[in-house]
Amino acid sequence: MSSPEPDKNVEAWTATNAAYTDRAAPSAWAQDEITWGVFGIPERNVGVLPDVDGLDVVELGCGTAYFSAWLARRGARVVGVDPTPAQLETARRMQKQFGLEFPLVQARGEDVPLPDGSFDLALSEYGASIWADPERWIPEAARLLRPGGLLVFFRGSTLAMLCSPVDDEEAPIEQQLHRPLFGMNRFEWSDGSIEFHLPHGELIRLLRRSGFDIEDLIELQAPEDAERHPEYDHVPPEWARKWPAEEIWRARKL
Amino acid sequence: MTLTEHAKRNRAHWTELAPSYAMASGWAREPNWGCWGIPDSDLHLLDDVSGKDVLELGCGTAYVSSWLARRGARVVALDVTPAQLETARRKQAEFGIEFELVEASAESIPSRDESFDLVVSEFGASIWCDPYLWVPEAARVLRPGGRLVFLVNGAISMLCYPDEPGPAGTELLRPYFGMHRVEWSFEDSVEFHLPHGDWIRLLRSNGLDVLDLVELRAPDGAPDPTFDYATTEWARKWPAEEIWVARKRS
Repeated sequence: MSSPEPDKNVEAWTATNAAYTDRAAPSAWAQDEITWGVFGIPERNVGVLPDVDGLDVVELGCGTAYFSAWLARRGARVVGVDPTPAQLETARRMQKQFGLEFPLVQARGEDVPLPDGSFDLALSEYGASIWADPERWIPEAARLLRPGGLLVFFRGSTLAMLCSPVDDEEAPIEQQLHRPLFGMNRFEWSDGSIEFHLPHGELIRLLRRSGFDIEDLIELQAPEDAERHPEYDHVPPEWARKWPAEEIWRARKL
Repeated sequence: MTLTEHAKRNRAHWTELAPSYAMASGWAREPNWGCWGIPDSDLHLLDDVSGKDVLELGCGTAYVSSWLARRGARVVALDVTPAQLETARRKQAEFGIEFELVEASAESIPSRDESFDLVVSEFGASIWCDPYLWVPEAARVLRPGGRLVFLVNGAISMLCYPDEPGPAGTELLRPYFGMHRVEWSFEDSVEFHLPHGDWIRLLRSNGLDVLDLVELRAPDGAPDPTFDYATTEWARKWPAEEIWVARKRS
């Protein structure tokens, strides 16, 4: 791997897997319902995904591959892609435990060793969508998709990034603009990880340049009974009732 | 002409404001965007209009239309406020630039289907009309392949205005979800602002593909603008103004 960024993210995710995602994997895999984000909003209320039965699906930055498992269970032919060996190892253990096998490929979202035009749906849920360089992973997703194929990706909202305190990155997001929007893209966190976040206008231009038609931007509102996520607790539910903390983009390859 | 209740209120509001816009100094300027006057020669949103049929929605004193007419477009400029159109007519005579001025609301455009190549709105219908009424009308009068370009306040900036005259701060003062109709306690007018996701869905559902969202940044070192909705310092960090560009599906 030539670029230093993904290595840092692999290091950070190896540590996070040991601390949390490995032990969270069984319950995530066991979940029947497809849900989005820290407040577990059901896909049946969102309706952003197509019927995946019989579709070729690639998940970019699958982690422990629970989302891939949800789609495989619904009849999709899924390939999970992730750069972190420890997470793929957890995914493999889950595959055996749940008797649900699909290919897992160790690679970064920026550089996927799979053929052009081989998927109907490219999906990323807090995966490549935030941990890979958008200038590289979005064109890569376009390459992997067949014409008419869908790209669906999930990330924190731009507004949540702007409202994240600068001096204490562990602190919850606030009702205050703390970071500038102009120039935002790359965030280096104290655990060494590097997160990417383009504002809406930049993202729309990048999607168009990469050959996508923009179909939807779903800014998620926390449900009334939302509770703080036990691990990812930087979003107060009352904040996310008023402002979008997370967002889903849907784009179609022209 | 049947007007919605908010269109009547906005016409009264703009009738009152019209004398202070009577200079219409925009007529003498080069094409530019927003209160920091970002040149269109940087953004290229009004290029290639020569010989095109162009409609401006909520033209006010019609300075944007004058730029387009000067570039060779066949322009129709529409506004609901007679006093503003009066200023536009005076400027036409002064500059020797003639184009059609129509008194109407963009919520009900008196034009045939598919009769324009470009529909533009610069803080006109784009914020003073209900988007769920004017966007379908804009889509109707556009030819397939025609463009819609409109300037609005930045969605984030709308969260940061106190309910009193003065610039945006950094605190989020009102919710984003449900943002649509905005009324200020200090002004008898009705504005309309949508979250980004709602704009995208509204444009798409009217057969318009989203081509761009240009989030405008104030130029470094620019003086604070005459309009007091954001300081230059604020607008160096966050978009106080943004331009949507869409194209009618062929």
